[in-house]
Amino acid sequence: MNKVSGKRQLQKTATREHILNTALAVYAEHGFSASTNVIAQEARLAHGTVFVHFPTREDMLQRTLERFASELGDKLHELSETEDDLKNFLYTHIDILTKYEHLYKNIITELSSLPPAATTSLIAVQSIASHHFGNVIANCAGRYAVKPIPLHMLFNIWMALLHYYLLNSELFAPGRSVLNSRRDELVNSYMELIRN
Amino acid sequence: MKKCIACGMPMTSRSEFAMGDTSKDYCRHCMRPDGSMQSFAEKLTSMTEFIVRTQGLDASVAERSAKAMLRELPAWEHYFDHGS
Repeated sequence: MNKVSGKRQLQKTATREHILNTALAVYAEHGFSASTNVIAQEARLAHGTVFVHFPTREDMLQRTLERFASELGDKLHELSETEDDLKNFLYTHIDILTKYEHLYKNIITELSSLPPAATTSLIAVQSIASHHFGNVIANCAGRYAVKPIPLHMLFNIWMALLHYYLLNSELFAPGRSVLNSRRDELVNSYMELIRN
Repeated sequence: MKKCIACGMPMTSRSEFAMGDTSKDYCRHCMRPDGSMQSFAEKLTSMTEFIVRTQGLDASVAERSAKAMLRELPAWEHYFDHGS
């Protein structure tokens, strides 16, 4: 690759990154009905430039959700290699979701009206999270015992708790991050429930 | 960071690579006992079981999702070339 085409490629990658990051922010603030036109305006790019990188709205949506899923998956993967305390793992899970709180709430609220690829991304990320959750439980076996409940139920109960608070965030933490405001209560209560 | 071509898992430590061989493009979860990479059918089955075990989803939903996930991975692109 010569110098000029190498530079072009770098610019192309940077523009794609910029569009994806803008889309994440727009979907978090306005929900998934936001058009690619709005994303182009926010990114200060021509609509045509956005289309070069993401030919359809579905493509943009899918790649944005993949970005979120990949970041969450990679961080939990890294953590589950070393972490032997489920409590720390749960705090990290909450912290990552807090970073994407508006986006995540919009995903679970609007899922039924989103393209099937959105459901696939969510299923992928939840399975990855649950798998690492199981690894950390195995790692902490020497320190404390967890009730003999199948992995999917242990994970689903945790997610049900988080989703209930997210869906009713205005009741639990009006105008604030519900996950951040209630993190200690959520983690401590869940630990009490599952410890043997 | 290298990601497994067959399931997408990040491979950050040697032990995560098939046979502990960092020149391999697939992970230990996507390997057969003899060290070779699982076939598409084997991977579809193991991915479906993985989804059921980790989330308890209905088996048909899990299989449909597993297929959609495999579609995005480099190892299986050719299985979906004709929109199947």
